[in-house]
Amino acid sequence: MVILEADNIVAGYGKGPDILKGISLKVEAGKTYCIIGPNGAGKSTFLKVISGLLTPREGKITFKGEDITGLRADQILRKGLSLVPSDRSLFPDMTVKENLRMGGYVLGKQKDLINQRIIEMTEMFPILKERTSQLAKTLSGGQQQQLAIARAMIVNGDLIMLDEPTLGLDPKTRHQIFKSIEILKGNGMTVIIVEQNARLGLEAADRGVVLDLGRFSFEADAEKVLSDQRIQKLYLGAK
Amino acid sequence: MEQFLQILILGLSLGGVYALMSSGLTLIFGVMRIVNLAHASFIVVAAYISYWAFKLIGMDPILSVIITFPIMFLVGLLVYKLIFAKVIESSRFVEITVLLTFALSLIIEGLLNYFFTGIYRSTTPIYCTECLYFGNLYFPEGQFYATIVSVIILLGLFLFLRYTRLGNAIRATTQNRTAAKTVGVNVDRISMLTFGIGTGLAGASGSLVSFLFTFYPAKHMDWGTIILALIVLGGMGSLFGSLVGSFILSVIAAFVSYYFGPTWSPITFYSALFIILLIRPQGLFGKKMELSR
Repeated sequence: MVILEADNIVAGYGKGPDILKGISLKVEAGKTYCIIGPNGAGKSTFLKVISGLLTPREGKITFKGEDITGLRADQILRKGLSLVPSDRSLFPDMTVKENLRMGGYVLGKQKDLINQRIIEMTEMFPILKERTSQLAKTLSGGQQQQLAIARAMIVNGDLIMLDEPTLGLDPKTRHQIFKSIEILKGNGMTVIIVEQNARLGLEAADRGVVLDLGRFSFEADAEKVLSDQRIQKLYLGAK
Repeated sequence: MEQFLQILILGLSLGGVYALMSSGLTLIFGVMRIVNLAHASFIVVAAYISYWAFKLIGMDPILSVIITFPIMFLVGLLVYKLIFAKVIESSRFVEITVLLTFALSLIIEGLLNYFFTGIYRSTTPIYCTECLYFGNLYFPEGQFYATIVSVIILLGLFLFLRYTRLGNAIRATTQNRTAAKTVGVNVDRISMLTFGIGTGLAGASGSLVSFLFTFYPAKHMDWGTIILALIVLGGMGSLFGSLVGSFILSVIAAFVSYYFGPTWSPITFYSALFIILLIRPQGLFGKKMELSR
Protein backbone atom coordinates (compact mmCIF):
# COMPACT_ATOMS: atom_id res chain seq x y z
CA MET A 1 0.00 0.00 0.00
CA VAL A 2 1.29 3.45 -0.91
CA ILE A 3 1.43 5.63 2.21
CA LEU A 4 3.09 8.70 0.71
CA GLU A 5 3.04 9.97 -2.82
CA ALA A 6 4.94 13.00 -4.08
CA ASP A 7 3.88 13.98 -7.57
CA ASN A 8 5.95 16.29 -9.76
CA ILE A 9 7.30 18.43 -6.90
CA VAL A 10 8.98 21.72 -7.79
CA ALA A 11 10.44 23.69 -4.89
CA GLY A 12 13.08 26.25 -3.94
CA TYR A 13 13.90 28.88 -1.35
CA GLY A 14 12.62 32.45 -1.44
CA LYS A 15 12.94 33.87 -4.93
CA GLY A 16 15.87 31.57 -5.74
CA PRO A 17 16.00 28.95 -8.49
CA ASP A 18 14.19 25.63 -8.33
CA ILE A 19 16.07 23.10 -6.21
CA LEU A 20 13.60 20.30 -6.86
CA LYS A 21 12.67 20.14 -10.52
CA GLY A 22 9.60 18.00 -10.76
CA ILE A 23 10.32 14.90 -8.72
CA SER A 24 7.89 12.11 -7.96
CA LEU A 25 8.07 9.24 -5.49
CA LYS A 26 5.71 6.58 -4.19
CA VAL A 27 6.51 5.26 -0.74
CA GLU A 28 5.17 1.85 0.31
CA ALA A 29 3.97 1.51 3.89
CA GLY A 30 6.31 -0.33 6.26
CA LYS A 31 9.32 -0.03 3.97
CA THR A 32 12.56 1.86 4.51
CA TYR A 33 13.77 4.19 1.77
CA CYS A 34 17.21 5.67 1.50
CA ILE A 35 17.70 8.76 -0.65
CA ILE A 36 21.27 9.30 -1.78
CA GLY A 37 22.87 11.88 -4.00
CA PRO A 38 25.60 14.50 -4.14
CA ASN A 39 25.64 17.65 -2.02
CA GLY A 40 23.15 20.21 -3.25
CA ALA A 41 21.04 17.63 -5.08
CA GLY A 42 17.98 18.62 -3.03
CA LYS A 43 17.70 15.66 -0.63
CA SER A 44 17.08 17.74 2.50
CA THR A 45 14.87 20.12 0.54
CA PHE A 46 12.69 17.18 -0.47
CA LEU A 47 12.22 16.18 3.18
CA LYS A 48 11.44 19.77 4.13
CA VAL A 49 8.76 19.93 1.46
CA ILE A 50 7.20 16.65 2.57
CA SER A 51 7.21 17.70 6.24
CA GLY A 52 5.68 21.12 5.56
CA LEU A 53 8.73 23.20 6.46
CA LEU A 54 8.86 24.40 2.86
CA THR A 55 5.87 24.92 0.59
CA PRO A 56 6.29 23.46 -2.92
CA ARG A 57 5.93 25.76 -5.90
CA GLU A 58 4.26 23.03 -7.91
CA GLY A 59 3.14 19.46 -7.45
CA LYS A 60 1.03 17.48 -5.06
CA ILE A 61 1.79 15.47 -1.92
CA THR A 62 -0.59 12.79 -0.71
CA PHE A 63 -0.23 11.09 2.67
CA LYS A 64 -2.49 8.15 3.58
CA GLY A 65 -4.68 9.15 0.66
CA GLU A 66 -5.10 12.72 1.82
CA ASP A 67 -3.76 15.79 0.02
CA ILE A 68 -1.29 17.49 2.39
CA THR A 69 0.23 19.93 -0.11
CA GLY A 70 0.82 23.31 1.49
CA LEU A 71 -0.20 22.27 4.99
CA ARG A 72 1.89 23.61 7.89
CA ALA A 73 4.45 21.36 9.61
CA ASP A 74 2.28 21.01 12.73
CA GLN A 75 -0.74 19.98 10.63
CA ILE A 76 1.30 17.37 8.78
CA LEU A 77 2.80 16.03 12.01
CA ARG A 78 -0.72 15.60 13.41
CA LYS A 79 -1.43 13.30 10.48
CA GLY A 80 1.46 11.03 11.53
CA LEU A 81 4.42 12.19 9.46
CA SER A 82 7.46 13.36 11.41
CA LEU A 83 10.92 14.64 10.56
CA VAL A 84 14.26 14.55 12.35
CA PRO A 85 16.24 17.41 10.77
CA SER A 86 19.92 17.07 9.97
CA ASP A 87 21.11 19.35 12.77
CA ARG A 88 19.15 17.20 15.27
CA SER A 89 17.24 20.34 16.23
CA LEU A 90 16.87 19.72 19.93
CA PHE A 91 15.88 22.25 22.56
CA PRO A 92 19.33 22.68 24.10
CA ASP A 93 18.27 24.25 27.39
CA MET A 94 15.53 21.73 28.06
CA THR A 95 16.14 18.39 29.75
CA VAL A 96 15.88 15.08 27.94
CA LYS A 97 12.45 14.56 29.47
CA GLU A 98 11.27 18.05 28.49
CA ASN A 99 12.46 17.44 24.92
CA LEU A 100 10.53 14.18 24.84
CA ARG A 101 7.48 15.90 26.28
CA MET A 102 7.70 18.52 23.54
CA GLY A 103 7.67 15.62 21.09
CA GLY A 104 4.12 14.99 22.27
CA TYR A 105 3.09 18.61 21.85
CA VAL A 106 0.52 17.81 19.19
CA LEU A 107 -1.12 15.28 21.50
CA GLY A 108 -2.41 18.26 23.44
CA LYS A 109 -3.44 17.68 27.03
CA GLN A 110 -3.30 13.88 26.91
CA LYS A 111 -0.72 13.82 29.70
CA ASP A 112 -1.10 10.13 30.50
CA LEU A 113 -0.57 9.16 26.88
CA ILE A 114 2.47 11.42 26.58
CA ASN A 115 3.98 10.04 29.80
CA GLN A 116 3.32 6.50 28.58
CA ARG A 117 5.04 7.25 25.28
CA ILE A 118 8.00 8.80 27.11
CA ILE A 119 8.37 5.61 29.16
CA GLU A 120 8.21 3.52 25.98
CA MET A 121 10.83 5.68 24.28
CA THR A 122 13.22 5.59 27.22
CA GLU A 123 12.88 1.82 27.24
CA MET A 124 13.58 1.71 23.54
CA PHE A 125 16.58 4.03 23.93
CA PRO A 126 18.02 3.06 27.33
CA ILE A 127 20.75 5.69 27.15
CA LEU A 128 18.03 8.34 27.50
CA LYS A 129 16.54 6.69 30.54
CA GLU A 130 19.72 7.33 32.50
CA ARG A 131 19.74 10.97 31.47
CA THR A 132 16.16 12.18 31.72
CA SER A 133 17.12 15.16 33.90
CA GLN A 134 20.15 16.12 31.87
CA LEU A 135 20.06 19.16 29.58
CA ALA A 136 20.00 18.18 25.91
CA LYS A 137 22.99 20.36 25.12
CA THR A 138 25.15 18.30 27.48
CA LEU A 139 24.54 15.01 25.63
CA SER A 140 27.06 13.56 23.19
CA GLY A 141 26.34 13.72 19.45
CA GLY A 142 25.07 10.15 19.31
CA GLN A 143 22.89 10.60 22.37
CA GLN A 144 21.45 13.79 20.90
CA GLN A 145 20.58 11.95 17.71
CA GLN A 146 18.89 9.17 19.65
CA LEU A 147 16.95 11.80 21.58
CA ALA A 148 15.91 13.48 18.34
CA ILE A 149 14.68 10.15 16.93
CA ALA A 150 12.90 9.23 20.16
CA ARG A 151 11.26 12.65 20.29
CA ALA A 152 10.00 12.27 16.74
CA MET A 153 8.52 8.89 17.68
CA ILE A 154 6.52 10.15 20.67
CA VAL A 155 3.55 10.92 18.44
CA ASN A 156 3.57 7.31 17.27
CA GLY A 157 3.20 8.34 13.64
CA ASP A 158 3.22 6.19 10.56
CA LEU A 159 6.18 7.66 8.74
CA ILE A 160 9.42 9.09 10.04
CA MET A 161 12.01 10.93 7.95
CA LEU A 162 15.62 11.14 9.08
CA ASP A 163 17.79 13.78 7.49
CA GLU A 164 21.46 12.77 7.66
CA PRO A 165 21.10 10.95 10.98
CA THR A 166 24.81 10.07 11.22
CA LEU A 167 26.17 13.48 10.25
CA GLY A 168 29.27 14.29 12.31
CA LEU A 169 29.19 11.04 14.28
CA ASP A 170 32.04 8.58 14.77
CA PRO A 171 31.73 5.04 13.28
CA LYS A 172 30.70 3.42 16.57
CA THR A 173 27.93 5.96 17.17
CA ARG A 174 26.82 5.67 13.55
CA HIS A 175 26.35 1.97 14.18
CA GLN A 176 24.20 2.79 17.25
CA ILE A 177 22.04 5.11 15.19
CA PHE A 178 21.44 2.46 12.55
CA LYS A 179 20.50 0.07 15.32
CA SER A 180 17.91 2.67 16.34
CA ILE A 181 16.66 2.72 12.76
CA GLU A 182 16.35 -1.07 12.90
CA ILE A 183 14.11 -0.58 15.96
CA LEU A 184 11.89 1.77 13.93
CA LYS A 185 11.66 -0.78 11.15
CA GLY A 186 10.91 -3.49 13.67
CA ASN A 187 7.98 -1.41 14.88
CA GLY A 188 6.54 -1.43 11.39
CA MET A 189 7.20 2.23 10.73
CA THR A 190 7.81 3.56 7.27
CA VAL A 191 11.20 5.26 7.23
CA ILE A 192 12.82 7.64 4.77
CA ILE A 193 16.52 8.28 5.34
CA VAL A 194 18.65 10.86 3.63
CA GLU A 195 22.21 9.73 4.16
CA GLN A 196 25.61 11.00 3.00
CA ASN A 197 27.11 7.65 3.86
CA ALA A 198 25.30 6.02 0.98
CA ARG A 199 26.51 2.48 1.58
CA LEU A 200 25.45 2.49 5.22
CA GLY A 201 22.07 3.99 4.35
CA LEU A 202 21.35 1.58 1.53
CA GLU A 203 22.33 -1.43 3.61
CA ALA A 204 19.66 -0.48 6.13
CA ALA A 205 17.01 0.24 3.48
CA ASP A 206 14.55 -1.75 1.39
CA ARG A 207 14.54 0.73 -1.46
CA GLY A 208 17.18 3.10 -2.75
CA VAL A 209 16.51 6.37 -4.53
CA VAL A 210 19.15 8.47 -6.27
CA LEU A 211 18.53 12.19 -6.42
CA ASP A 212 20.69 14.31 -8.67
CA LEU A 213 20.28 17.94 -9.75
CA GLY A 214 16.79 18.13 -8.33
CA ARG A 215 15.51 15.02 -10.10
CA PHE A 216 15.24 11.37 -9.13
CA SER A 217 17.53 9.60 -11.55
CA PHE A 218 17.20 6.06 -10.28
CA GLU A 219 14.94 4.08 -7.96
CA ALA A 220 15.16 0.36 -7.20
CA ASP A 221 15.53 -2.18 -4.41
CA ALA A 222 18.36 -1.08 -2.15
CA GLU A 223 20.40 -4.17 -2.98
CA LYS A 224 20.14 -3.45 -6.67
CA VAL A 225 21.17 0.18 -6.15
CA LEU A 226 24.12 -1.01 -4.07
CA SER A 227 25.25 -3.38 -6.77
CA ASP A 228 24.74 -0.99 -9.70
CA GLN A 229 28.18 -0.25 -11.12
CA ARG A 230 27.38 3.28 -12.17
CA ILE A 231 25.98 4.12 -8.71
CA GLN A 232 28.96 2.45 -7.09
CA LYS A 233 31.30 4.59 -9.12
CA LEU A 234 29.42 7.84 -8.57
CA TYR A 235 28.25 7.59 -4.99
CA LEU A 236 29.82 4.61 -3.24
CA GLY A 237 33.47 5.35 -3.84
CA ALA A 238 34.19 2.41 -6.19
CA LYS A 239 36.88 2.84 -8.82
CA MET B 1 28.08 50.31 55.93
CA GLU B 2 24.62 51.59 56.65
CA GLN B 3 24.94 54.06 53.82
CA PHE B 4 26.10 51.30 51.50
CA LEU B 5 23.08 49.17 52.45
CA GLN B 6 20.74 52.10 51.95
CA ILE B 7 22.01 52.75 48.42
CA LEU B 8 21.86 49.04 47.69
CA ILE B 9 18.22 48.92 48.82
CA LEU B 10 17.34 51.92 46.65
CA GLY B 11 19.00 50.25 43.66
CA LEU B 12 17.38 46.87 44.24
CA SER B 13 13.97 48.44 44.76
CA LEU B 14 14.06 49.74 41.19
CA GLY B 15 15.63 46.58 39.77
CA GLY B 16 12.40 44.60 39.94
CA VAL B 17 10.51 47.25 37.96
CA TYR B 18 13.28 47.49 35.37
CA ALA B 19 13.19 43.69 35.09
CA LEU B 20 9.46 43.82 34.38
CA MET B 21 9.95 46.64 31.86
CA SER B 22 12.56 44.63 29.98
CA SER B 23 11.00 41.16 30.33
CA GLY B 24 8.54 41.64 27.47
CA LEU B 25 11.23 42.97 25.15
CA THR B 26 13.56 40.05 25.79
CA LEU B 27 10.70 37.54 25.50
CA ILE B 28 9.75 38.92 22.10
CA PHE B 29 13.36 38.96 20.97
CA GLY B 30 13.82 35.35 22.10
CA VAL B 31 10.92 34.04 20.05
CA MET B 32 10.87 36.36 17.05
CA ARG B 33 14.48 37.58 16.90
CA ILE B 34 13.34 41.17 16.57
CA VAL B 35 14.34 44.19 18.62
CA ASN B 36 11.03 45.86 19.26
CA LEU B 37 11.96 49.53 19.41
CA ALA B 38 8.33 50.39 20.13
CA HIS B 39 8.37 48.46 23.41
CA ALA B 40 9.07 51.52 25.54
CA SER B 41 6.32 53.40 23.69
CA PHE B 42 3.88 50.70 24.80
CA ILE B 43 5.06 51.32 28.37
CA VAL B 44 4.33 55.03 27.93
CA VAL B 45 0.87 54.27 26.51
CA ALA B 46 0.09 52.08 29.53
CA ALA B 47 1.38 54.79 31.86
CA TYR B 48 -1.14 57.19 30.26
CA ILE B 49 -3.94 54.62 30.68
CA SER B 50 -3.08 54.32 34.37
CA TYR B 51 -2.81 58.07 34.66
CA TRP B 52 -6.31 58.66 33.26
CA ALA B 53 -7.78 55.75 35.22
CA PHE B 54 -6.33 57.33 38.36
CA LYS B 55 -7.43 60.82 37.46
CA LEU B 56 -10.91 60.05 36.17
CA ILE B 57 -12.09 57.20 38.39
CA GLY B 58 -9.47 57.22 41.14
CA MET B 59 -8.17 53.79 40.26
CA ASP B 60 -4.98 52.90 42.08
CA PRO B 61 -2.12 52.62 39.53
CA ILE B 62 -1.02 49.26 40.95
CA LEU B 63 -4.56 47.96 40.60
CA SER B 64 -4.68 49.32 37.06
CA VAL B 65 -2.27 46.53 36.06
CA ILE B 66 -5.37 44.39 35.71
CA ILE B 67 -6.59 46.63 32.90
CA THR B 68 -3.30 47.68 31.28
CA PHE B 69 -2.04 44.11 30.87
CA PRO B 70 -5.06 42.82 28.91
CA ILE B 71 -5.48 46.05 26.93
CA MET B 72 -1.84 46.07 25.88
CA PHE B 73 -1.97 42.31 25.22
CA LEU B 74 -4.73 42.95 22.69
CA VAL B 75 -2.79 45.92 21.26
CA GLY B 76 0.17 43.56 20.83
CA LEU B 77 -1.94 41.00 18.97
CA LEU B 78 -3.31 43.72 16.73
CA VAL B 79 0.11 45.21 15.98
CA TYR B 80 1.46 41.76 15.20
CA LYS B 81 -1.42 41.00 12.84
CA LEU B 82 -1.25 44.38 11.09
CA ILE B 83 2.51 44.73 10.85
CA PHE B 84 4.58 41.61 11.48
CA ALA B 85 2.37 38.91 9.98
CA LYS B 86 2.82 40.53 6.57
CA VAL B 87 6.62 40.52 6.64
CA ILE B 88 7.35 37.36 8.61
CA GLU B 89 8.38 35.38 5.52
CA SER B 90 10.71 38.10 4.28
CA SER B 91 14.40 37.24 4.17
CA ARG B 92 15.05 40.72 5.61
CA PHE B 93 12.57 40.31 8.43
CA VAL B 94 14.97 41.45 11.16
CA GLU B 95 16.00 44.67 9.40
CA ILE B 96 12.43 45.44 8.34
CA THR B 97 11.04 44.99 11.84
CA VAL B 98 13.68 47.24 13.41
CA LEU B 99 12.63 50.03 11.06
CA LEU B 100 8.93 49.26 11.42
CA THR B 101 9.04 49.28 15.22
CA PHE B 102 11.07 52.50 15.24
CA ALA B 103 8.47 54.09 12.96
CA LEU B 104 5.71 52.74 15.19
CA SER B 105 7.33 54.29 18.27
CA LEU B 106 7.42 57.68 16.54
CA ILE B 107 3.79 57.35 15.45
CA ILE B 108 2.75 56.51 19.02
CA GLU B 109 4.74 59.47 20.33
CA GLY B 110 3.08 61.75 17.79
CA LEU B 111 -0.40 60.53 18.68
CA LEU B 112 0.23 60.90 22.42
CA ASN B 113 1.53 64.41 21.82
CA TYR B 114 -1.55 65.24 19.79
CA PHE B 115 -4.02 63.95 22.37
CA PHE B 116 -2.25 64.67 25.65
CA THR B 117 0.36 67.33 24.77
CA GLY B 118 3.94 67.15 26.04
CA ILE B 119 3.10 67.99 29.65
CA TYR B 120 5.01 65.98 32.25
CA ARG B 121 2.62 63.70 34.10
CA SER B 122 2.66 61.21 36.93
CA THR B 123 0.09 59.36 38.99
CA THR B 124 0.24 60.40 42.62
CA PRO B 125 -1.17 57.73 44.93
CA ILE B 126 -0.62 58.49 48.59
CA TYR B 127 2.06 55.84 49.05
CA CYS B 128 4.41 57.34 46.49
CA THR B 129 5.35 60.06 48.96
CA GLU B 130 5.73 57.74 51.97
CA CYS B 131 8.57 55.58 53.20
CA LEU B 132 8.78 52.29 55.05
CA TYR B 133 11.42 52.18 57.78
CA PHE B 134 13.45 49.16 58.85
CA GLY B 135 15.64 50.45 61.65
CA ASN B 136 17.68 53.24 60.17
CA LEU B 137 17.08 52.03 56.64
CA TYR B 138 14.17 53.24 54.55
CA PHE B 139 12.28 51.99 51.52
CA PRO B 140 10.36 54.46 49.37
CA GLU B 141 6.92 52.89 49.69
CA GLY B 142 6.02 53.28 46.00
CA GLN B 143 9.22 51.60 44.85
CA PHE B 144 8.74 48.86 47.43
CA TYR B 145 5.22 48.02 46.24
CA ALA B 146 6.18 48.34 42.57
CA THR B 147 9.06 45.92 43.03
CA ILE B 148 6.90 43.43 44.95
CA VAL B 149 4.25 43.52 42.20
CA SER B 150 6.94 43.23 39.51
CA VAL B 151 8.48 40.20 41.20
CA ILE B 152 5.05 38.58 41.53
CA ILE B 153 4.31 39.16 37.83
CA LEU B 154 7.76 37.86 36.83
CA LEU B 155 7.29 34.82 39.05
CA GLY B 156 3.94 34.21 37.35
CA LEU B 157 5.65 34.54 33.98
CA PHE B 158 8.32 32.07 35.04
CA LEU B 159 5.72 29.52 36.21
CA PHE B 160 3.70 30.05 33.04
CA LEU B 161 6.73 29.43 30.81
CA ARG B 162 7.88 26.46 32.83
CA TYR B 163 4.70 24.57 33.56
CA THR B 164 2.12 25.29 30.89
CA ARG B 165 1.85 23.80 27.42
CA LEU B 166 1.81 27.24 25.82
CA GLY B 167 4.74 28.37 27.97
CA ASN B 168 6.75 25.34 26.94
CA ALA B 169 5.96 26.05 23.30
CA ILE B 170 7.27 29.60 23.77
CA ARG B 171 10.46 28.32 25.41
CA ALA B 172 10.88 25.73 22.68
CA THR B 173 10.45 28.33 19.94
CA THR B 174 12.97 30.57 21.70
CA GLN B 175 15.55 27.78 21.83
CA ASN B 176 15.12 26.37 18.35
CA ARG B 177 12.53 27.65 15.93
CA THR B 178 12.95 24.85 13.37
CA ALA B 179 12.80 22.16 16.04
CA ALA B 180 9.65 23.76 17.40
CA LYS B 181 8.07 23.44 13.95
CA THR B 182 9.10 19.80 13.65
CA VAL B 183 7.41 18.89 16.94
CA GLY B 184 4.22 20.55 15.77
CA VAL B 185 4.36 24.00 17.33
CA ASN B 186 2.59 26.56 15.18
CA VAL B 187 5.39 29.09 15.51
CA ASP B 188 3.46 31.87 13.78
CA ARG B 189 0.69 31.59 16.35
CA ILE B 190 3.25 31.37 19.15
CA SER B 191 5.02 34.46 17.80
CA MET B 192 1.75 36.37 17.81
CA LEU B 193 0.85 35.30 21.35
CA THR B 194 4.38 36.07 22.56
CA PHE B 195 4.17 39.52 21.05
CA GLY B 196 0.86 39.96 22.85
CA ILE B 197 2.26 38.75 26.18
CA GLY B 198 5.41 40.88 25.78
CA THR B 199 3.30 43.94 25.07
CA GLY B 200 1.03 43.03 28.00
CA LEU B 201 4.10 43.00 30.24
CA ALA B 202 5.00 46.43 28.89
CA GLY B 203 1.47 47.45 29.89
CA ALA B 204 1.85 46.13 33.43
CA SER B 205 5.18 47.89 33.87
CA GLY B 206 3.68 51.09 32.47
CA SER B 207 1.18 51.14 35.33
CA LEU B 208 3.97 50.78 37.88
CA VAL B 209 6.31 53.38 36.41
CA SER B 210 3.43 55.84 36.17
CA PHE B 211 3.94 56.69 39.85
CA LEU B 212 7.71 56.10 40.02
CA PHE B 213 8.71 58.53 37.28
CA THR B 214 7.25 61.48 35.46
CA PHE B 215 6.47 60.75 31.86
CA TYR B 216 5.57 62.47 28.60
CA PRO B 217 5.15 61.22 25.02
CA ALA B 218 8.88 61.25 24.20
CA LYS B 219 9.81 59.42 27.41
CA HIS B 220 10.10 56.19 25.42
CA MET B 221 13.51 57.36 24.21
CA ASP B 222 14.92 57.30 27.78
CA TRP B 223 13.16 54.14 28.86
CA GLY B 224 13.92 52.40 25.57
CA THR B 225 17.65 52.96 26.00
CA ILE B 226 17.55 51.80 29.61
CA ILE B 227 15.73 48.55 28.90
CA LEU B 228 17.88 47.90 25.86
CA ALA B 229 20.96 48.19 28.10
CA LEU B 230 19.36 45.79 30.59
CA ILE B 231 18.62 43.07 28.09
CA VAL B 232 21.92 43.48 26.27
CA LEU B 233 23.74 43.02 29.59
CA GLY B 234 21.66 39.99 30.52
CA GLY B 235 21.84 38.49 27.04
CA MET B 236 19.13 39.21 24.50
CA GLY B 237 16.39 36.61 24.64
CA SER B 238 17.29 35.45 28.14
CA LEU B 239 14.60 36.25 30.71
CA PHE B 240 16.86 35.29 33.57
CA GLY B 241 19.57 37.45 32.04
CA SER B 242 17.29 40.48 31.86
CA LEU B 243 16.39 39.96 35.53
CA VAL B 244 20.04 39.82 36.59
CA GLY B 245 20.97 42.69 34.24
CA SER B 246 18.19 44.83 35.70
CA PHE B 247 19.31 44.38 39.27
CA ILE B 248 23.00 44.88 38.46
CA LEU B 249 22.50 48.07 36.50
CA SER B 250 19.90 49.56 38.82
CA VAL B 251 22.24 49.06 41.78
CA ILE B 252 25.18 50.59 39.89
CA ALA B 253 22.95 53.48 38.82
CA ALA B 254 21.94 54.05 42.45
CA PHE B 255 25.60 54.28 43.49
CA VAL B 256 26.43 56.58 40.59
CA SER B 257 23.47 58.74 41.53
CA TYR B 258 24.60 58.95 45.15
CA TYR B 259 28.26 59.70 44.51
CA PHE B 260 28.06 61.79 41.35
CA GLY B 261 24.50 63.15 41.45
CA PRO B 262 21.22 61.97 39.89
CA THR B 263 21.93 63.58 36.52
CA TRP B 264 24.76 61.10 36.04
CA SER B 265 22.59 58.08 36.83
CA PRO B 266 21.24 57.51 33.28
CA ILE B 267 24.76 57.48 31.89
CA THR B 268 25.27 54.18 33.74
CA PHE B 269 22.87 52.52 31.31
CA TYR B 270 24.24 54.20 28.20
CA SER B 271 27.83 53.38 29.18
CA ALA B 272 26.89 49.81 30.02
CA LEU B 273 25.23 49.38 26.62
CA PHE B 274 28.33 50.69 24.89
CA ILE B 275 30.81 48.65 26.93
CA ILE B 276 28.87 45.38 26.77
CA LEU B 277 28.49 45.60 23.01
CA LEU B 278 32.23 46.12 22.71
CA ILE B 279 33.38 43.46 25.15
CA ARG B 280 30.71 40.77 25.23
CA PRO B 281 27.94 41.41 22.68
CA GLN B 282 26.05 38.28 23.70
CA GLY B 283 25.73 39.58 27.29
CA LEU B 284 25.95 37.54 30.46
CA PHE B 285 23.52 34.74 29.61
CA GLY B 286 22.82 35.15 25.91
CA LYS B 287 23.98 33.14 22.97
CA LYS B 288 26.14 34.56 20.25
CA MET B 289 23.80 36.36 17.92
CA GLU B 290 23.15 35.08 14.44
CA LEU B 291 22.01 37.06 11.50
CA SER B 292 19.60 34.43 10.26
CA ARG B 293 16.48 33.45 12.12
